[in-house]
Amino acid sequence: MAFSRSRFRHALALPILLSALVPRLPGGQSLQRAAAETNVNQQYVIESVSISGAQLDDSENANLPGALRERLNSLVGARCDMNALNEVADQLRRELHLRAVSQRLMRGSQPGRIRVNFEIERRPASFDIAVPKFLYHSEQKFSGEVDAIVRAAHNSLTLGVTSNGDDLTERFTGVAVRYENSRLGTDRVRFGLEFDDFHEQWRPSTVATAQEAGGVDLYHARRNFAPEFTFVLAKPLTVSVGASFEQMESRIPGQPDESANAITAGLRYNREFEDAAFQQQFGASYSLRAGTRALGSDYPYSRHMFTVRYEFRSGKQLAREEFLGGMIAGYAPMFERFVLGSSETLRGWDRYVIDPLGGTRVVHNSIAYGYQIREGTAEVFYDAGSLWEPTRQAKLRHSVGVAYRQGIFVLTMAFPVVEGRIAPVFMAGMNY
Amino acid sequence: MTRRKLIVALAGAGTCYAFPPSASGAFAAHLDGDYLRITAPHLNFLSGKPLERLKDGQSVAFIGQLTIAPSLNSVVVQARSVARFAFSYDIWEERFSVTKIGERPEARHSASHLSATQAENWCLDNLAIDRSAIPSEKPFYVQLDLRAEDPRDQIGIIGDPGINITRLIELFSRPARGAQPRWLFNSGPYRLADLKKTEVRGTRG
Repeated sequence: MAFSRSRFRHALALPILLSALVPRLPGGQSLQRAAAETNVNQQYVIESVSISGAQLDDSENANLPGALRERLNSLVGARCDMNALNEVADQLRRELHLRAVSQRLMRGSQPGRIRVNFEIERRPASFDIAVPKFLYHSEQKFSGEVDAIVRAAHNSLTLGVTSNGDDLTERFTGVAVRYENSRLGTDRVRFGLEFDDFHEQWRPSTVATAQEAGGVDLYHARRNFAPEFTFVLAKPLTVSVGASFEQMESRIPGQPDESANAITAGLRYNREFEDAAFQQQFGASYSLRAGTRALGSDYPYSRHMFTVRYEFRSGKQLAREEFLGGMIAGYAPMFERFVLGSSETLRGWDRYVIDPLGGTRVVHNSIAYGYQIREGTAEVFYDAGSLWEPTRQAKLRHSVGVAYRQGIFVLTMAFPVVEGRIAPVFMAGMNY
Repeated sequence: MTRRKLIVALAGAGTCYAFPPSASGAFAAHLDGDYLRITAPHLNFLSGKPLERLKDGQSVAFIGQLTIAPSLNSVVVQARSVARFAFSYDIWEERFSVTKIGERPEARHSASHLSATQAENWCLDNLAIDRSAIPSEKPFYVQLDLRAEDPRDQIGIIGDPGINITRLIELFSRPARGAQPRWLFNSGPYRLADLKKTEVRGTRG
């Protein structure tokens, strides 16, 4: 239905009318807010919080975003602040794309204690446009992704358009279509199916090095079809298994297409610990991609990658430690090779100076200290890492920098530690 | 039937049609010291959706208005009392609490440990009109307008960052929900001299 001009005028007029009609109290306080403040149940302590009857630890709530889960958990043990409950209900509605959320208080296990249940009302279907990643890098220029997402019950279909010069040695541009079922018969099983169609752009330094090295095929397009099942073994631990059927078109005319068909597997663990004085997050993952001729692959290889992340917050301060290690055995296509010098690793370094072809061995570590300033956090970080081949000696590189984060937005100034010169690199964007 | 009686009858019927929760002859006015107050023994506004929300532990806000007018449906209002009330229900004690929200936080006053009827009466008692504002010689009508607020229409559209257009579009695209609970009653005509006088309970308006 078209949003007609008169409707648009009404849309603009409504907030003005609402602001005039909604009874206002001094300081811009609405009647609803004042009413919440006088709620007699504010004297009670919250014993537990649930969503549609399921406790936060239950598998039904395994997909809650971390920050939202953190906020829900923070309600337990605190006095029942009705305005805080209203805000959390609003956050739930917004982040989970629900039609409506209302809270229900029930008696707890003993007098003076209450249980809070957020009753949710799902939309029959929803449509969203999202920008999950956007980055401007003063050397690599823009990278970004725009997704159109349709959700219905436990199903979602995403059509994404992306141009990414940050994650791999090549810039890949194209579309990705993903189907996800977050509840395949049971809450513990999810299914996903992805199709990608990308065109590649290579830096001259990569092309030149590939020609010198010989035997490296820089494809000009690739298509991927990847089904995957994920099993929730316990709330913090998931295992995924699947396959990836990737077909690459050679840059050399007349050369046949090549396939890199692989079995994929992953193990992921995420846990949060919280105390009155501090919050800790711990995450670890392992992923395996094994190309095999049994699946018709022209590339027999195995790619292993480990990550560990730990974050500690206390008051306005935070400390973060991130480790990444990886190894490729056999002969892997270019998109599988590791890269350092991205927006997350060895920040400030030019990846093409480190190795224009990427590497088959990688170790990287990043430590950061942050301090909350107003709504955001100012951080200093130190990155160290090495990218190498078994035939070459590993060289450790370092970089330092400062960043300011506010919500999903990040500004970074990074300095590669290179003898004799300072060449800062600037990055700005969100979710990188 | 005189013309005036016909108008009164039609207006009364119209009111009942537009606002089904009402009951005819719902309230009576009386003088309580220096104030005109009303009693409405059959008015149970703590019912339906607002009561459900209260029993779920939520707060429910009501806005009440008592007006004095020279005739039914008159646009001229001779005196008015407007008050905002916040109700809540103690889920352990199963009793109601009500606060009259004033212009300043210190102007608030509350009553607690009340039954539903006591809470409703407390609310009506706090809607009073100073007798000095009421015409002493001429007949007048009293109108009670009481409505519950629907919090879903307000949250998130106007906030600290400004106007949320997404919410606004959602509000337009949402199927129209039932009308806000509202009770609208008229009573009269009265003459000040003829009003029943009760014991002085207080001077609060």
